[in-house]
Amino acid sequence: MLRYAVERLIQAIIAIFGVLTIVFVVMHLSGDPTLLLVPQDASAEMIAQLRSQLGFDRPIYVQYLEYLGGLTQLDFGVSVVQRVPALDIVLSRVPYTIMLAAGALVVAIGMGIPAGIIMATRRGTVIERLLTAIVVTGQSVPTFLSGIVLIFFFGVTLRWLPTSGSGDFASLIMPSIALGAISMSTFARMTRISIIDELGKDYVRAGRARGLSLSSVVFRHVLRNAAIPVITIAALEIGNLLAGAVIVETVFAWPGIGQLAIQSIQSRDFLVVQVIVLLISFVYVLTSVLADFVYAIVDPRIRLVR
Amino acid sequence: MNAVANPLLSVDRLTIEIGGANVVDDISFTVAPGKVMALVGESGCGKSLTSYAMLGLLPPAAKRTGGRIMLESTDLGAMSERQLRKARGKDISIIFQEPSASLDPLTTVGSQIAEAYRVHQGASRTEAYEKARQMLVDVGIPDPTRRLDQYPFELSGGMCQRIMISIALINGPRLLVADEPTTALDVTIQAQILDLMKKLVSERGTAIVLITHDMGVVADIADEVAVMYAGRIAEIAPVHALFAAPKHPYTALLLASVPKLDHSPKADLATIEGTVPTPSEFGVGCRFADRCPLVTDKCRSEQPPLFQSGESGHRSACWHIDRMAEIRGVAA
Repeated sequence: MLRYAVERLIQAIIAIFGVLTIVFVVMHLSGDPTLLLVPQDASAEMIAQLRSQLGFDRPIYVQYLEYLGGLTQLDFGVSVVQRVPALDIVLSRVPYTIMLAAGALVVAIGMGIPAGIIMATRRGTVIERLLTAIVVTGQSVPTFLSGIVLIFFFGVTLRWLPTSGSGDFASLIMPSIALGAISMSTFARMTRISIIDELGKDYVRAGRARGLSLSSVVFRHVLRNAAIPVITIAALEIGNLLAGAVIVETVFAWPGIGQLAIQSIQSRDFLVVQVIVLLISFVYVLTSVLADFVYAIVDPRIRLVR
Repeated sequence: MNAVANPLLSVDRLTIEIGGANVVDDISFTVAPGKVMALVGESGCGKSLTSYAMLGLLPPAAKRTGGRIMLESTDLGAMSERQLRKARGKDISIIFQEPSASLDPLTTVGSQIAEAYRVHQGASRTEAYEKARQMLVDVGIPDPTRRLDQYPFELSGGMCQRIMISIALINGPRLLVADEPTTALDVTIQAQILDLMKKLVSERGTAIVLITHDMGVVADIADEVAVMYAGRIAEIAPVHALFAAPKHPYTALLLASVPKLDHSPKADLATIEGTVPTPSEFGVGCRFADRCPLVTDKCRSEQPPLFQSGESGHRSACWHIDRMAEIRGVAA
């Protein structure tokens, strides 16, 4: 188990390192932020002076090595736009995104998994067809559109919920639904497929043969077996929610890291963008490692053999 | 009918349909208490469907369209799902071909055995575990206390089948259906499991319906045999009578195809030409006609009923029982 944990940790570091390098290179290829920082009428000398002051006149590999050197001391650099540490800027936005992602997860798991269970066990019924319609809709409507439709309907027409901002719990509802809808559909589909797959297995027939009702077999045996692929999806979906937050936060003017990412890209504030990407990739890697440990809890074959 | 005065199980003219074809067609047999009835036949001959029908566990595509299944005086076919649930695992149990796949991989075997007891007896967890431990002793599993806490993947196939037998017998059922119980196991383990089943049957007076395609298993354990072919009973007889003098060409050829100890290892084994007809190919006559060396026009136009032949309880669905001697020539 320990050796496994160490292996996973090394893999995680390599993955994060790779992401970091790609983002660094791509951001630098996209141009030099100096031009955005100087006044329109700045002379070539002023620009050159600022550029060398910020260190952008040096070769890219020097800048890269310096950046890596800083990272080893948890120094993520200073925002070229705001002139404060990039990490502080990002961290101030993180709680909002956590709140939004948590809300979206509640929507995704809280609705997706029960919907999947019902779709798998009540096949051919009206409720199954209704849920299928909801799931397909949730999956096929893009987030920016569903966000705007929600705002129009519940915010503007019915005036039930605030159209934007982050004041209170009510303002969290619509962004959570908009962000969670696609994940909800993914959870519902995976749960459904996984349960249907399990229902065809011999132990289900054997369970019924010993006198259990089908629903007892489902609740006592099938759900746990069906959970394993759903855990894999959950790990991926948490990362996807953070990526999806970029759009939802922009639509709902939600002050999380997604909105910050868009703003920072527009102003070529790469150090901030790099911190955000680093954070998201860290969450991806962390959730996939956590998923592996959850497998071990659920499945004795993984727990005991390793 | 068979010479059983008060049968435990009587299957009477059972017919099961899948997609409009009678895949089980007019099957009748009885099983006396404590006896072993073997249903023998190739894959797809309807023997497993017959057994699932007894527990009301037919797959969704299959429909019982006729006949009755009586357990003593109870009509299993007329039971509601709720009543069937009470009977399953208590009055009738079943063990399957793939013991490892028949156990939930994520639950300890102890919990699965105890579950079978608790669902019918309403016992406490401790009580059910003690009963489960006792069952493991009965089925010959050493170190039962430790085994109860193990998962199916930690046990061998033979061990899993013993677990399945524990689950099947923990409530003392009157009938055990064994669907190819030894097919997935090593030969040495097969013999152990068969011995175990024989022992448990004689100790408890449980009757067995044994589904198999293995004539060796039949000879070892059965009291009576029904040979099935393409959804019908071809021949039904006490086991010694069937082996001594088969009265249906299919049975005779089947027996001739079993390797014997005195065969030369280089000699070819007897085979039956052709393949089993699919349900869409079933004609009006005898379903074995196309592969039968004794076939006549009558065989193709008219379905033979089960004729009484030889000693009591020996019946065969063949128009040409009197020509069986010719088959022995073909088979040899």
